[in-house]
Amino acid sequence: MNHTVDWVQLSVVVVIFAAVTVMGFMAARWRSTGDLDNLDEWGLGGRGFGTFITWFLLGGDLYTAYTFIAVPAAMYATGAVTGFFAVPYTIVVYPLIFVFMARLWSVSHRHGYVTPADFVRGRYGSRWLSLAVALTGILATMPYIALQLVGMQAVFETMGLGGDNLLAKDLPLLIAFAVLAAYTYSSGLRAPAMIAFVKDGLIYLVIAVAILYLPSALGGWDAIFGAAEQKLTTENPATGKPVGSFIPGATGYSAYWTLALGSALALFMYPHSVTAVLSTKTRNVVRRNAAILPAYSLLLGLLALLGFMAIKANVDIKGLDGLPNPQLAIPRLFDQEFPSWFAGIAFAAIAVGALVPAAIMSIAAANLFTRNIYKEFLKKDASPAQEAKVSKLSSLLVKFGALVFVLGMDKTISLNLQLLGGIWILQTFPAIVVGLFTRWFHKWALLAGWAIAMIYGTIEAYNVVNPATGKHFGGSVANIPFTDTTAYIGLIAFALNLVIVIVLTLILRALKVADGDDTTHASDYTADRGDPGVHDLPDLLDEGGAAPAKS
Amino acid sequence: MSRLSAVKPAYWIAGVLLAATVIAPLIVSTYAKAEPRLWGFPFFYWYQLLWVVLSVFTVGIAYKLVMGEERKRRAAQGLGDPDKPAKEADR
Repeated sequence: MNHTVDWVQLSVVVVIFAAVTVMGFMAARWRSTGDLDNLDEWGLGGRGFGTFITWFLLGGDLYTAYTFIAVPAAMYATGAVTGFFAVPYTIVVYPLIFVFMARLWSVSHRHGYVTPADFVRGRYGSRWLSLAVALTGILATMPYIALQLVGMQAVFETMGLGGDNLLAKDLPLLIAFAVLAAYTYSSGLRAPAMIAFVKDGLIYLVIAVAILYLPSALGGWDAIFGAAEQKLTTENPATGKPVGSFIPGATGYSAYWTLALGSALALFMYPHSVTAVLSTKTRNVVRRNAAILPAYSLLLGLLALLGFMAIKANVDIKGLDGLPNPQLAIPRLFDQEFPSWFAGIAFAAIAVGALVPAAIMSIAAANLFTRNIYKEFLKKDASPAQEAKVSKLSSLLVKFGALVFVLGMDKTISLNLQLLGGIWILQTFPAIVVGLFTRWFHKWALLAGWAIAMIYGTIEAYNVVNPATGKHFGGSVANIPFTDTTAYIGLIAFALNLVIVIVLTLILRALKVADGDDTTHASDYTADRGDPGVHDLPDLLDEGGAAPAKS
Repeated sequence: MSRLSAVKPAYWIAGVLLAATVIAPLIVSTYAKAEPRLWGFPFFYWYQLLWVVLSVFTVGIAYKLVMGEERKRRAAQGLGDPDKPAKEADR
């Protein structure tokens, strides 16, 4: 076990981290159009991002430690079904957002909605449904942030930081977290947007070198796929089944495509993805981005294959605590195959790549809390300065919530953290996305469908026990009820949710139960920048109405 | 049928392109095999990466088509160019 700290790697990482932190603080003054004490200014960056910055912002948002650590780790440990589904997932997601995200932009900009829960409040006239959406968003974001922390942890552990006692192991994590919290607190969404440029530059550099250099160093793609096939088709003596899947067999098809589709439907329900979309300049920036973001998907596919390279390179994935940890596969691969200084750059890229989304996610979750819980239920007459303050504080709390997930959950396959978040966030899809197209669903039907699906999904996920560690929440795939076909729990719960909503809507409509008022109009969903009633933030500030939501 | 046929061809084509991009990568049985290989990649792996590249074109073409229609619609309604909004329109 290697307990010595690699000082070259550590120095490179520290220098890049310091540079990024300075940039974060400088970002407070970058493109400033207003006052950072205002929630929209802090939390949405003033809503003026064009195609170019949005590409980096969304990229920084969507391609995270999930891409650099979790997916390759899953490929390393169990192969295609649990890992490579991320490729069809990131293909399928863009046509989907192309269809519905432009409508969300329009209605949000006409009514001053900042969060998905704002939209639900206006569309269905139901503060309870809005509360459900807000709570789900905050809850689901926590394991996703936790995944970022696990990624950073893997990098620090590979550099030799930490030890086997609990405090030493978690100390570097806490330091990184303090930095993140500090600059997020001071500069809001602008810091991550600016840092995303650095992050993507580093990532592209690392991946280019890895893809061009590693295959030849490891004996070519044939040898890499050969080693992966051999490992993954070997029988696991404990279960009598193959260790993983190299190419999914017929029984794996349903898990593979439901994981891909479920993840794709879930992605743009996360508050941070909505935040990024709403901070664009015009309605169609997000559509333009849907056509150019797949460049990242290609990256994701190639990064996934690094998991197979780690198999070929026989990396040692034993953690400092002596237990095998697949999350270490990629950092250890870099450590083993690259000179120290370049491994340092790669580690900095991974760490910053985890920090940026963690910042964006916590800001978005904080927005949800402030607008849809604090202002709606706790303090209706909050001043803009109070709002911004509560938002900054709650973004810290969300990060602590994520820490709880890191410390409490089974991290053998960290991808599960993201999939667990997906199970929850997917249950807000009927209210948000279907609501963008039709107001037919009844508000109480939506609330009931959400509640039952949330409970069902959580119980099903709890019941998946990792055979190796005996811990609950050990996976995200279960049998579809009454069948032997396996599928992503999130998508099963989503189907259940939809059925309940449709049936209850029919019943409630037949009984003529009162529904909430819809404050939106059909023309709101196609409005664009410059149209009557569509506001950029500075206009709202000039009018003196600092809280832009219609109450 | 009258409502469906009122949908402009540009929207039809864009819809079909987008739908194909969603559905094709989800039909696992069409690509869960090792042969033919390409540069050492089994079919399963290179075919999905190929779809990433294809999706750039399908979504890109859909964007061009939809934007063309959107510009026509906005012109017909007398609305301005969202990339250069007239400041007065906001008031």
